[in-house]
Order: sequence, then C-alpha cells, then structure tokens
Amino acid sequence: MPTIEVEREDFEALLGLDLPRSVEELDDMLAYVKGEVKLFDEQEVHIEVKDSNRADLWSVEGLARALRGFLNLEKGLKNYSVAGSSGVEIHVDSRLENIRPYIGCAIIKDIEFTDVMIRGAMRLQDKLDQTYGRNRRRTSIGLYDFDLISPPLHYSVAKPKQVSFVPLGFSVKMTLEEILEKHPKGIEYGHIVHPHAVWPLLTDSKDNVLSFPPIINSDDLGRITENAHNVLIEVTGTSHETVLNTLNMMVTSLADRGGKIFTTQVNYPYKERKNAVTPQLETKTMRIDLAEMNQLFGFKLTLKEVAELLGKARYGIAKTQKKGVIVRIPCHRIDVMHPVDIAEDIAIAYGYNKIKPRWQRLPTTGGISSHAQFCDIVREIMVGLGFQEILTFTMTHPEILQTKMNRKREKVVEISNPKMVTFTCLRNWLLPSLMEFLSHNTHVEYPQKIFEVGYVVVFDGEAETKTRDVTKLACVTTHPNANFTEMKSCLEALLLNMGLKQWNIRETTHPSFISGRTAKISSRNREVGILGEVHPQVLNNFKLKNPASAFEIDLKKIT
Amino acid sequence: MVELREHEQKTLLALQKLGGKAPVDEVVKASGLAHAAVMRAALSLTAKKLAQTHERKQTVIKLNEEGKQYAKKKLPERHLIDSLVKLGGKAPIEKVAENAHLAKKFIPIALGWLQRKGWATIEDKERVLKALKRKPAEGTDEKLISFLNEKSSFIVEKLSKNLQSAVAVLRGRKLVEIRDKMLREIELTSVGQKLVKKQLLIVEEVSQLKPELIVSGKWRQVRLRKYNIEAPVAVTWSGKKHPYARFLDELKEKLVALGFKEMRGPLIELSFFNFDSLYTPQDHPAREIFGVYYVKSPKYGKVDTYKPAVENVKKTHETGWKTGSTGWGYHFSLRDTQRLLLRAHGTALSVRTLLSKDLEIPGKYFAVARCYRPDMVDKTHLSEFNQVEGIIAGEDLTLRDLLGVLERFAIDIAGVDKVKFRPDYFPFTEPSVELVAYKKDYGWLEFGGSGIFRPEVTLPLGVKVPVLAWGLGVDRLFMMKAGIDDIRHLFSQDLDWIRRKELT
Repeated sequence: MPTIEVEREDFEALLGLDLPRSVEELDDMLAYVKGEVKLFDEQEVHIEVKDSNRADLWSVEGLARALRGFLNLEKGLKNYSVAGSSGVEIHVDSRLENIRPYIGCAIIKDIEFTDVMIRGAMRLQDKLDQTYGRNRRRTSIGLYDFDLISPPLHYSVAKPKQVSFVPLGFSVKMTLEEILEKHPKGIEYGHIVHPHAVWPLLTDSKDNVLSFPPIINSDDLGRITENAHNVLIEVTGTSHETVLNTLNMMVTSLADRGGKIFTTQVNYPYKERKNAVTPQLETKTMRIDLAEMNQLFGFKLTLKEVAELLGKARYGIAKTQKKGVIVRIPCHRIDVMHPVDIAEDIAIAYGYNKIKPRWQRLPTTGGISSHAQFCDIVREIMVGLGFQEILTFTMTHPEILQTKMNRKREKVVEISNPKMVTFTCLRNWLLPSLMEFLSHNTHVEYPQKIFEVGYVVVFDGEAETKTRDVTKLACVTTHPNANFTEMKSCLEALLLNMGLKQWNIRETTHPSFISGRTAKISSRNREVGILGEVHPQVLNNFKLKNPASAFEIDLKKIT
Repeated sequence: MVELREHEQKTLLALQKLGGKAPVDEVVKASGLAHAAVMRAALSLTAKKLAQTHERKQTVIKLNEEGKQYAKKKLPERHLIDSLVKLGGKAPIEKVAENAHLAKKFIPIALGWLQRKGWATIEDKERVLKALKRKPAEGTDEKLISFLNEKSSFIVEKLSKNLQSAVAVLRGRKLVEIRDKMLREIELTSVGQKLVKKQLLIVEEVSQLKPELIVSGKWRQVRLRKYNIEAPVAVTWSGKKHPYARFLDELKEKLVALGFKEMRGPLIELSFFNFDSLYTPQDHPAREIFGVYYVKSPKYGKVDTYKPAVENVKKTHETGWKTGSTGWGYHFSLRDTQRLLLRAHGTALSVRTLLSKDLEIPGKYFAVARCYRPDMVDKTHLSEFNQVEGIIAGEDLTLRDLLGVLERFAIDIAGVDKVKFRPDYFPFTEPSVELVAYKKDYGWLEFGGSGIFRPEVTLPLGVKVPVLAWGLGVDRLFMMKAGIDDIRHLFSQDLDWIRRKELT
C-alpha cells in the first residue's frame, strides 16, 4: 500500500486546518481516506493509504481535497476546467502501435513552484508509475519545463544506437542502448522496451529529445526547477484509458496548486484511433438507487441525507430522481466502477461508527470438517502417548527432504520465485521437518518425543491443481536408548485407538532408516506408512547425537 | 518415644548381645547389617544420645613369609634337637645337622638357640653336641607361631600374657609384622540400654511398597520409610498440543458455536480462485512475483469444471458483464486463470465454497487456512502463516450485519472492551471495514478486515444474495495472549520454549 509523505505545514495550508495533536486523533481523521499515520512530527506526516485503487489520494493535494469534504470545509464536486487550448500537437508514429501506442499531454501554466511542490509532484509521479502504472509497464509520466520546448512534439521510435542524449542525472550523452546498460533507470525498466527492435522516443520540432519513455527523461528538458512556470506533462502507456487517467491525477494535483490547464492534441495514425484532445477532465455519471443502497446498508437514508453525504464525499449531483440520484463523478475518481463504490463513500461520510451493529441469528449449524475432527483424534492420542506437538513450515528445501535424509534426488513441487534460500519447495513427506526441528534442539533435555499432523504436497496429474495435499502424521523419539520397539509400540497404540482391527508391519528397506530395523505399515492391503530406526548417516547429517526412532503415516489411509 | 529406623534398631540389639560395647566389626557380624549401615547407625544413634563411639589404638601382629615357613616346618633348633635325640643324645655337629636335613646357613642360628633355650650344649672342642633334654616341651615362641598361623592376624593386647611374652622374641627373629591400628567401638549409653530393654521387637522398614506386601497384608508389619519430600526431582515433560495449535482449536470451537462450518481447500491453488474470481485484475501488483509464490512446474492447472463461472468472470473483468460494473476494461487471459500458485489468502476457500453445489443459504463458513507470501522471515513477518477467514451468505444481509459480526468476534473471541470501525480496502469487497478493538493493557489493536463481496465477485459465481466476508488477525491475538513479540514463535523451533509455555 502506498505511503504518502507530506510536509506538515503544506498539508495544513492545503487543508485550511491545523492537524490534531495526537496520533490517535489524526488516525481518526485520516480514517475517512483509509489513511493510517506512519510518522507524525513537527515537519512531516507519513500516511499509509490502504486503498490501492484510489490514486487520487496519493498526493498531498488529493488528500486535502478529500478530507476538506469529510471535515465540512468544502463540499461537493470539485470541477477542473480547461483554460484553453495550448495549440500544441503531438504526432504519433504508427510503429508504436505494438510497442507503447498511447500518449496524453497537458500544459499547466502560471504555476509558482516551490521546492515542496516539486518534491510532492515527483513523489506522486513515482507512486503512479509504480502502482497504477504497474512499474511503468502500463503507464509512465514525464514532466518538462514547457518554455524550453519547441512544439509540435513527435512521439516516435528510434533504433537502440540511432539517437543519443544526456539522460537525467548524467552529464554525458548516451545512446538508448547505453542507457539500458548503464543508467540505473535503464537497468531497472529496460526489460519493458528491450524485446522490441525500435524503442519509443519523444522529441520536439528541433529534434531535441524530451524523453525515452518509459525509461528516462532528458537532462536538458526533463527537469523541473523553481524557475519553471509552465509545465508540460506527458504520459505514455499501453491503454488509452489508463494514460488519460494517469494524466488526470497529475493535472488535478497541479491545478490545486493554482496552475491553469491547457489542452494538447494528439494525432494518432492508427486505424481505430485518429486523434484525441488531452487532458479529458469531463465528469462521468452513475445512478444510485436509494432502495438498493438502503438494502445494502441495513438502515434508511433519505434522498436529502444522501445528497448531503455525497457532497461530503465530494461527488456532484446531476439529477435527483424519485427513487435515486444521478451522481456526478469527478475526473480524478478513476476508481469508481459500480454504484457500490459510491455507496461506500456515502457510508464513510455518514460515519461507520454511527451505524448500529446488528447480530443476526441465522439458522445455520456450525461444525468442523470431518478431516479436522479426525486429525484432532490423532493429535489427542499422540499427546496421550507423551509426544509434544510441533508446528513446522510446509515450505522447505530439497537438501532437507532428500540429501540430509539419505535419499536420492526426486521431483518435488518447487517454487518459481523463492524469496529465501531455505524455502524453495513444498515438502512431500513430513519426517524431515521433524528431524530439522530436532537439529535445533540438541542442547535441550532428552528424551525428546515430538509429533506433527501436517500437510505435504504430492503430484497428481488428475487433480485440477495437478497436485494434491496429503495429511500426514510423523513422530520421532530420540534419547540414548531410543529404538524400534518403542516406536512400534506407540504406532500400534495409535492404530488400536484409531479403531483399526488389523494391520501388518513387515520388513522393508528405506535409505533414511537402518536396514533390518525398518518396516512398512499396511492395512487392508494398502501401504500406509513407514516405521524404523533412523539411519546413523541421517543423524550425522542433522548433527544429532542420540539414536532416533520414527514413523510417518498417511492419515487418510487409516480413516 | 524416639523414632528408630530399622538399621538403628538392629545395631542397638547387636550391641546389647555383645555386652553393651563392641568394635564395629563385631556389631556387623552380630547384626547382619552391612558395614556402612552400622557406621550410619552409629552416627545417628550418637546424635540421638543412645550410643557413643570410641576409638582405641591396637597393635596388630601377623607372621611374615619366613614366619609362615617356620609355622609349616618348625623352628631349626627343633629340627636339630630331634635329630640329636635320634642319634642317641650325643653326636658330632656335622652328623646331627646332616640328619636334620638343615641347610648350612641355618646351622649357626639353630646352634645358638639350642644353647640359649638350654636344650643342648657343645662339648669339648671336638664339636660334639650333647642333649640336655630328651624331649623339650613346646616353647611359647612356637606356640605363638602356630597361633598366629591359625588366626592370620591378631591383636597383641588380646594375646594371653604368656603368648604376649613371645612377641618380642619373634620380633627379634624378624618372623612377624607388627603395626598399629585404630579400633572403633560402639557402646550403648545408659539411655540406650534402657531403650533396648523396652523395644525388642524389630520392625522391618520398606522403601518401595511392593505388590506382594499389599496382597499378603505384610504391609501392616513393615514401616514405610519416610522420604525427604523436599528433595529435588527430575522434570517430566508432558506431551501436549502446541500452544498456537491449541489456540486455533479453541478459536474453531468458538466459531462453531457461532454457527460457522469449516471449509477446506488445496494449498496449491488456481489463480482463478486466488485472484480472478475475486475481481483482482490480471496485471494487479498483488499478482506479481513479489506478491505471490508461483509453482515452477507444473505451471498450469485445469479450470474446465468451472467453465460457466470462468466465462462470467472473464466478461466481468472486461466489461462488467451483468453486474452493473464498468469492469476493468482489459483483455482477460483464460490461460492466466490456470496459473498455479501457493494460496495467498483464505478468501480463495470462500470462493470455492460459493461455487460449491453444497453451498447453503443462509450459510456461515470459516477456514483456518495455511497461506503463503514471499516475505523475508523476521520478527514481524512469516512467509507461511495461518489465516482465519470466512463468509456469511444470506438474504437481507447488510453493512449493519457485517458490523454486528465483527463486534461479536471482538467480544466473544478476543474478549475486548470496546470496538471501532474504520474504512478499509480489498479489491473484492465494497464497502470494506476494518475492525479495531481496544483491550485494557494492550491499547487499540487492528483485529480484522472485512467487507461485503462486490457484485463483480458474487454474480459471476451465480450467488444472488449478499455475502459478508471477514478475516481475523489471530496471529496478533495469540501473540498478545501468549506474551510474545516475535511472530516466528508461532512456528517455534525451540523445544524448550514449547515445553515450558503454559497452556492458557
């Protein structure tokens, strides 16, 4: 979830209100925007916004805009209107259609930049690129000092070695290819353009490079300072709608700072899209049905109350009907997809804590699954036999499942993106987890008797997930006199208590156990598990000094 | 009455039999007790003023190797006199010595003692030996040799006066070893004397009560030894459930009591259940490799059995379908729905339940689901954990009911003092509510997330009633209850901690 860092003084100025003194009070206030205080001091406030869909809340301007409504300081839809056309045109090269086809631009004029504002804009740009822009794959943003640019612009393509310019933060010219190899942003985002033969490039009429989207801006033009008064914002991306949405986030934020919005015209050569004037700040409408909404809430609001609450949530009203409202949605509320989204905002404006909770006694019968019941019985018996239950992870490493257990390599369910070297696959048997547990406890008093009822995962070509969970019981006893007999006796006590009438314990061989002291357990002609004294090589592998005796059974097979 | 233990009583009786005072060895013989037991009794009886011990110096005498030989073969002078008498009482020395079969080196010693004992004399200068006694009686030195030979060693002070007089002689002839020894004697005190007279019956003392004593009734005749009940004992580590597992068991019971049924589902899940059906767009950051674990091989499962639902979900993502939504507006990939992953949240189980033909309406369901997220394991993160989640499906369920459920959980499960609700966000619920609960000594605690499933979730699954979805932050609750601040303890690898952790 995005964390928004704001300067306290700036935030208070935009809100038109002093922030509360305590973190708890501030948390209560920020609850309206699903915000949680992460840091709060004299200079700064860090707010985690727990809504990955509300991109309009990822800037200090957006937070202030929303909060002013809930705090009754400014209600209703905030309209963003266009001051005029800038006359700037952007010509798009047809070769971009399968690379990064869309671009949207806006010019913000007459803005008095401060250091705080520039930092805020950079942070918003960054958040949008990362989250809404899916790490620049979907959209990416560029900001430029408009007065340094000579329109019209060309959104075109270039070969990797064809063009060179000075990328932001560097002082030497580099080709696009060199940028991908050497520039930190090139290394980070290069994979987006790399598969293509030609790469996107934004230039002006004098062939000055504005940027190499979505990688990096030019150091000459793509840098905003306090001297800039007129700004060009450009968004490129893979979907026209998301490009326009992203542009609206930037535009409304800067407009809240007093900038005037001027449009540009994008000329597309594509079959399906010819040209577009951007930004598109028109509001949308959506109807909410009063009865449906009250049915969702479980309490009754009147149309008048709804209208009032919509205003607090900063929606407009296009039309009030007998049984509903046509709601006007501002251009920055790109998250609204369904009337329930508006309904939630109405409930938040009403105040969750004003709603009276109701506990409905529904005619349902509770119960745990028969599987859990069965596992509970097994656990109860094992505890009765003096074993300590342990809980271990189902994720592990083939080294533990196989190498340390003296077994040959075999295929297990592996994770394609492991995060830690110790967790790279799912276990296909349970005993290794117990052996590993014992290896961490060699300093603890013996005898040690442990068990676990847990899942393992095996391949199953028939299953819809091509795998199957198997519930296993494994237990180990280890102390200076641990032996086969002790465990066989425990196993038989378990089987007896599970109601088995008949079972067989026959000699077998298994690399993890001592030959001649290993048995397979079967019941009703099905093999259900293995029992034996752990092989001394395995004990050595786990750095265990005492003999150990163990068994592992498939619980489903003794049901 | 003084409490006497069995070995004390036996010692007292033995002393009485031995005349009130006797060395330890004799008491051992007379009592039938082990030496150590008698010594222990002597100490404790002394403490009880029933007896006292004395130490006395004694001289012990025993034959050395040479002495033992003489004991067998007699003294050399005896050999000479016997030989002389056989030769008629007068004979040359050489002749006598030859008949006596005496080694040459012993002859001077033997001649010396013959004369000293007055058994014979040497006549003239012709070296002729003449007997003075025909058969000299056994001397005290000889008597002492045979006596010591029988006894192996003896106390000098206890020898008869007569024999005592020979000690010096044998010592002079270097036929004996003499050393000093401390003698320990036990003596009854007058109190001890009186007690013994009264208490003649010995009661057998028993440490372990045995079956034969119980069955035979013999336990009535024995005394069960008193134990030192304060002595430390070895720790017994009982078998028990894991504290966290037990906590989850209890939680299940509470949920069952509230009318919830347990759901089950696979650890390895289809993206369809984990994401698509929950209206999470296919390019959502949560679906990227840092948000969820994917299976390396096999990569894809099968969704054939859920075909109508998959189709509905596809249309909903793309255009909103019949749900009243705008949809996400992108091309939905059917292939992506089949991508296999490690279940990232328990909500996947809720979807399986909603899609199941066994779904009951109204219905309440819950799961304690093992879930996975690619996090580095540390004090506050696990990459594998349990989530407690569930749903309530029914006609006329509302936001008020959702709050009611949350409040009930907070009170019944966490036992909190007050609750508060905050707006929350999940891609699949709207409205969404976070439960924050206040507990004395702990403060405000985020205890659960919840919401009403979006129509984009329920309608494609064919569910036409509202579905309340909830999840509880049980890990934090357990940590609070168990007083731990490291989440790794939930799957503790520390046996000692688990053994010592009280069950609450």
